[in-house]
Amino acid sequence: MREKNWIRDYGLILVTGVVVGIAALVLTASGNPKNMGFCIACFLRDIAGALGLHSSANVQYIRPEIIGIVVGATAAALAAKEFRAKAGSSPACRFALGMFVMIGALVFLGCPLRMVIRLGGGDLTAVAGLVGFAAGILVGVVCLKKGFSLGRAYPVRMGEGFVLPGIMVVLLGLLLLVPTLLKFSEAGPGSMRAFWAISLAAGLVVGVLAQRSRLCMAGGMRDAVLLHDFKLLSGFLAIWVTVTIGNLILGSYNLSALSQPIAHSQYLWSVLGMALVGWGSILLGGCPLRQLILAGEGNGDSAVTVLGMIVGAAVSHNFGLAGAADSIAEDGTYVVGGIGTAGMVAVVIGFVVLAVITLTHLPKKEDA
Amino acid sequence: MGEKRPRLVVTFYTTAGAIATEQLCRRLGLEGKLISVPRRITSDCGMAWSAPPDLRETLEARLEEAGIETAGFYELPL
Repeated sequence: MREKNWIRDYGLILVTGVVVGIAALVLTASGNPKNMGFCIACFLRDIAGALGLHSSANVQYIRPEIIGIVVGATAAALAAKEFRAKAGSSPACRFALGMFVMIGALVFLGCPLRMVIRLGGGDLTAVAGLVGFAAGILVGVVCLKKGFSLGRAYPVRMGEGFVLPGIMVVLLGLLLLVPTLLKFSEAGPGSMRAFWAISLAAGLVVGVLAQRSRLCMAGGMRDAVLLHDFKLLSGFLAIWVTVTIGNLILGSYNLSALSQPIAHSQYLWSVLGMALVGWGSILLGGCPLRQLILAGEGNGDSAVTVLGMIVGAAVSHNFGLAGAADSIAEDGTYVVGGIGTAGMVAVVIGFVVLAVITLTHLPKKEDA
Repeated sequence: MGEKRPRLVVTFYTTAGAIATEQLCRRLGLEGKLISVPRRITSDCGMAWSAPPDLRETLEARLEEAGIETAGFYELPL
């Protein structure tokens, strides 16, 4: 009985974590950038670039992984009769939160999922991101305890729920049938990509499993802190362990804070960038991966959040807010990357925006 | 992880509803605790209130009085 309960409670989330970890390793081995088998923020940024929303030539590609995740979640939700078209929970605020979550993630150079994948590759610079992410979640939990709410969503017509999955199908059609309409990086991370069918398949598998298991990086920490429930957090840990073991087997584990792939060692801003992501994700009710899954299940508010994240990516690159990776100069000196003044200002503005959204969505005194 | 016992699970449309319920029940001395919504009820990853089944009528009345909107009441072995 004891074992059966344990398998029932933890089996699916652990399997999901292991599969996500293996998928990330396979995608990297197939051509995706190192320590970036999956990254929701980076891949949405690449999609924004492919559509011409920003002009950073190194990060432009319609990433089939994102399409697969959303469509996989839709298919799983429909099959389980869990597809529910709903919307109306402060969509404009969610759009703004999605923008700043993306800006914070691109300051750090990765979403919470890539943060775990970076840790699994031995990237010690990602520890700063983890510290910031956890701190942001704690702030978010305090907001929840004070009664923060973006309000409830209401049932809407089915068509509303299919908007983001529909956009994803159109993007796949453009990629396969009329790629000349899109921009493709010829150098940099955007040029490093697995064959589209492998990426799509990996995304579909992850989308299905994440929908079934409710995998969520932010939700895992929130439940651990608020409810002492470690189920979702175990999925997060399963990804970390799987990627670590996989990299050790493949000989690509490099435990160091120097010269890590697409990472920088400007620790303070990694902490602050991911704090923005953690806080924003709690206010939104889920990390960037979870937003894709919810949008796939028919949640129009999450679809708006994803669109906000795409716009946030465009803003990040058009205004030079995103982090630059550490690099080695021609004379062999180590050049610390990170963000410039504009990025720092954007992070501070992000905290102000999140604080304003929080304060304006707390219960009024007469409601308390 | 012992034997499963029947519990009343109250679900909400927002996390704020669950938190407000916890505060209300603490104030009224009603037994219960916050849990993550059981997967078999919904694919949403929010919070729910778990209480002894015999508190159902009391909870329904108190939550309505307090203006806390609920999404459903379920009796499940937990």
